[in-house]
Amino acid sequence: MGWMPPSLRVTGSPRKALSNRQAGQGGAIVRNMTVISGRPARRVDRVAAFGAVVALAGCLLVPFAEFRANRIVSGAPEPLSSAGTAGWLLLALAVAAFGLSVAFRPAWRGRGILILGAGLVALMPWALGFAAVSLLIGAGSPARVSIGSGAWLVMLGGAIIWFAGARGLGRSRLKPVLAVAVIGLWVSSAVFGGVPELSLAREYAVQSTRFWGLVREHLMLSGLGLAFGTLIGVPLGALASRNNLVRSATLSVVGVIQTVPSLALLGLLVFPLAAVGLPGIGTLPATIALTLYALLPIVRNTYVGLAGVDEGALDAGRGMGMSKAQLLLRVEAPLALPLVLEGVRAAAVLVIGIAAVTAFVGAGGLGILVFQGWGQQADDLTLLGALPMVALALFADLAIRGVASVAVSPGIRQEEVAR
Amino acid sequence: MIRLDNVVKRYGDTTAVDGVSFEVPTGEVCVLIGPSGCGKTTTLRMINRLIEPSGGTIEVDGRDIMSARPEELRRHIGYVIQSVGLFPHLTVADNIATVPRLLGWKDERIKPRIGELLELVGLDPDEYAGKYPRQLSGGEAQRIGVARALAADPPVLLMDEPFGAVDPLNRGHLQGEFARIQRELKKTVIFVTHDVDEAIRLADRIALMRDGRLQQYDTPEALLDHPANKFVHDFMGADRALKRLGRVLVGDAMRTDIEVARILDAGDIDRDACGDARFVYLVDGNGLLRGWVDCHDLDEGRSIDDAVTEIDWREASVAPDISLKDALSTMIGLGFRSIPVTESGTLVGSITLSSIEATMTSSDSHITQLSGETLSSEEPS
Amino acid sequence: MSAPAHMSSRGWWPTALVILGGFAFAWLIMQQDLWASVLGQLFPGARSPVYPVPLVDLTLQHLALVGISSGLTILVGIPLGIWVTRASGRDFRDIVAAGVDFGQTFPPIAVLAIMMPILGFGLRPAVVALFLYGLFPVVSNTVAGLEAVPEALKDAARGMGMKRLQILGRVELPLAARIIMAGVRTSVIVNIGTATVAAAVGAGGLGDPIIGGIQVQNLAYVLEGALVAALLAILADMTLARAEELVTPRGLG
Ligand SMILES: Nc1ncnc2c1ncn2[C@@H]1O[C@H](COP(=O)(O)OP(=O)(O)OP(=O)(O)O)[C@@H](O)[C@H]1O
Ligand SMILES: [Mg+2]
Repeated sequence: MGWMPPSLRVTGSPRKALSNRQAGQGGAIVRNMTVISGRPARRVDRVAAFGAVVALAGCLLVPFAEFRANRIVSGAPEPLSSAGTAGWLLLALAVAAFGLSVAFRPAWRGRGILILGAGLVALMPWALGFAAVSLLIGAGSPARVSIGSGAWLVMLGGAIIWFAGARGLGRSRLKPVLAVAVIGLWVSSAVFGGVPELSLAREYAVQSTRFWGLVREHLMLSGLGLAFGTLIGVPLGALASRNNLVRSATLSVVGVIQTVPSLALLGLLVFPLAAVGLPGIGTLPATIALTLYALLPIVRNTYVGLAGVDEGALDAGRGMGMSKAQLLLRVEAPLALPLVLEGVRAAAVLVIGIAAVTAFVGAGGLGILVFQGWGQQADDLTLLGALPMVALALFADLAIRGVASVAVSPGIRQEEVAR
Repeated sequence: MIRLDNVVKRYGDTTAVDGVSFEVPTGEVCVLIGPSGCGKTTTLRMINRLIEPSGGTIEVDGRDIMSARPEELRRHIGYVIQSVGLFPHLTVADNIATVPRLLGWKDERIKPRIGELLELVGLDPDEYAGKYPRQLSGGEAQRIGVARALAADPPVLLMDEPFGAVDPLNRGHLQGEFARIQRELKKTVIFVTHDVDEAIRLADRIALMRDGRLQQYDTPEALLDHPANKFVHDFMGADRALKRLGRVLVGDAMRTDIEVARILDAGDIDRDACGDARFVYLVDGNGLLRGWVDCHDLDEGRSIDDAVTEIDWREASVAPDISLKDALSTMIGLGFRSIPVTESGTLVGSITLSSIEATMTSSDSHITQLSGETLSSEEPS
Repeated sequence: MSAPAHMSSRGWWPTALVILGGFAFAWLIMQQDLWASVLGQLFPGARSPVYPVPLVDLTLQHLALVGISSGLTILVGIPLGIWVTRASGRDFRDIVAAGVDFGQTFPPIAVLAIMMPILGFGLRPAVVALFLYGLFPVVSNTVAGLEAVPEALKDAARGMGMKRLQILGRVELPLAARIIMAGVRTSVIVNIGTATVAAAVGAGGLGDPIIGGIQVQNLAYVLEGALVAALLAILADMTLARAEELVTPRGLG
């Protein structure tokens, strides 16, 4: 009784607090404080400069790529120069970004920094492709070239510079144009450049048929968990908002489940399932576990969303002669929707991650590639499982935010809710 | 018509409303007033069954409210609350359309109705129909709240401190607006407020409550002049003569037969307007108030510039739909013995201290009567 | 939202309960023989009913992994969150907030998996991955907590003549403590879970018997590891929930 599950932090409320600050009212406060402290606009764009330092470190201090005689052995470090002209171009962009960020008047540098940051990101697959092609000349066919930590750092630095430029620029048509250009360069490097020669691409080529099957499995498992979680969680959250007993019981139980490590829960599920003669291994326990994990964010956000509906709106609805069902459908549901969707979003991201663990109990999905990669110490295989998993999570995140931006009434978008 | 007969509401041991009876005739405004916690909201909400009475009967237009389904009942009673309670996810138009939709009206019927109601509450339909509540000011939101309550043309309107959250200036405006709408629509209204001035201004009858009991139910004049007990007397306040002025609108008390001087094209003014009066108001070709002319100065041959005092109608005139009390207050503030009355700048009349005096003496009998009164009457037990 | 009344209970008994729970847990994992006999009866077919590594060792490995990474997380995350809300670090606030937001959509296993090629096999990548992943909720809640402190309060503190550090220490941090602590709690609980999976990269801990048990099809191992891992997580959560209440200044919550 003295404790509660980590439930009462509403999923996404800190996020909301952060993004509120960026847009609208909060921004005014920040500006105010700048004025009060009398600090002039900085001459140095410190964020862009930091990004440039990261990119420079990636260029100069750590290996850009790794050469391996075959798939399993550990690699030999290769410097930026292995990418030839493209490598030097990256270095030049990073130096230029650093120069712009420290030396020029703010009015001039916005666009420049934006372009340089996007350029670093856009060129990366081309540079890696060049490195792969040049390093593989004369090497045997099992030889592989993989992405080094330097390349990751350069990309991170580029992204930071890009972000800094975009922030400094405000609304500009250049932003979407650059985004399209970057995507174009990435795609073209996969088609015309040396990207297919990179070890990750080679691994994909070997595994491609199996890979897409696993992606499908991963999506199916997460989709099932999310669907059941939503179907159970939303009504449960609604009940919790109506009844205190249901609320404390549900939130505690769901909260405890959430704390149990996923691997342990999957292990524990084997026994009750076996006791009733059901398979303790495979899709069934995986789906059950994913459903259970999806519950917490959905139940909690549904509850908070419904409990937070403005008393005045409820009173007005009742006073106008709405029945309970009409009140729920026309007033409570639309007002709670942003938080409910935020719960579903959090659950989707969570479930896509946990679905990877279900590979341990024979449920399939991209986790299989990760664990096989670990088992064989084959890094490429591990990454082939992990990176698409990240992509799926990001995609689900974006997709559900997209749904929210369409489904939530403009009258209540950004602002309101979870006080 | 709304009739309450010995209505009681108990919460456990506390009795929030204790045997309240009164009747509001069709088309009248009854203002429920009393100190905080006296049971005004509870009384109001029992009428549309948002709270179920513990005893007594309530009839709306001759029908016992317990004989209908509460939802059905509520759809035919307009309801406005202090916090407005606009649905933030719906546009102004959809907010207003809520009850008509619940009643199953066709869209062809709802659409014109929305425009009609927005015009009625003084908002431009083209500008406001598509807005969301968060884009409205407090006063605008209140207007929409009233429009929404009126949407299905309910014969009865319940309003719980509808202007409570609005600043004093807007409040005066909204009161004027409400009075105008009520003159037009003649609804049967129960209006809850804390504010004695608001009650006096808007009420046909006032029901004054204390600790769940009705203290007096009568016209504002009667409450002012013949308080049933000391509590009523104290609650209505000491400045009763002034408060009575709150019942009279400037438009009803102003003189309209006033002389005005016009500005002529040549930069001159039409001097003939100066008759017997020392001062006349000065208007331009469009009838807009520009200032006044000291005829004395003109007679003595001073220049027009010297004789004319220019004023801004926004600051130095009053509107016909405010109360005489507010007009008097403005006059005292400006140090004027007379003040022009304008409608958006157009001169329509004037109010003078003597015309206010005349209004007060017309009920002078009450005043003398009051001043000699000993106020030791007990509360009814 | 308004917290249920019992959440702010300040009596000594919830703390006592948590400490008692800790002792009970410690006792439980030291009863190697008890586990052997109970599991032996439950799984008569198993070749050996308890995992060869003693439970105490597995638990300590687990705790060490989580302790080191979460300790680093707190040491780095809270100062970082504070810094980006100060004048000196405000330039970096947006990028840190965006990065933390972005990071929280990453599956924890993916972070572990991405660390492997860079840092190799074993404890090191596990610690780094847990540390990095744990940073996200801590930084995000630190920033949110500090920014939720009403400007008026900071103004009042300035008006009373407090210096910046005093405002931070006496006004901002106490008011933000609960939210920051909630971030730490989320971070630690996720880390305990991810550390279980890290057994697969050779980091040891309570994931070992679960993964090992599945591989050699010995359900007794699985039950042993899963049960203790679950209990450990729940106990840690209770402890941190208690800490969350204790750091909340009396006037709040
Ligand atoms: N649900 C309830 N349970 C118990 N007591 C209540 C309840 N609702 C109202 N009361 C009590 O009934 C009395 C009358 O309340 P009511 O809300 O009608 O007052 P009011 O005149 O509208 O006050 P105010 O001017 O502050 O709005 C109060 O003493 C209040 O405490
Ligand atoms: Mg009230």
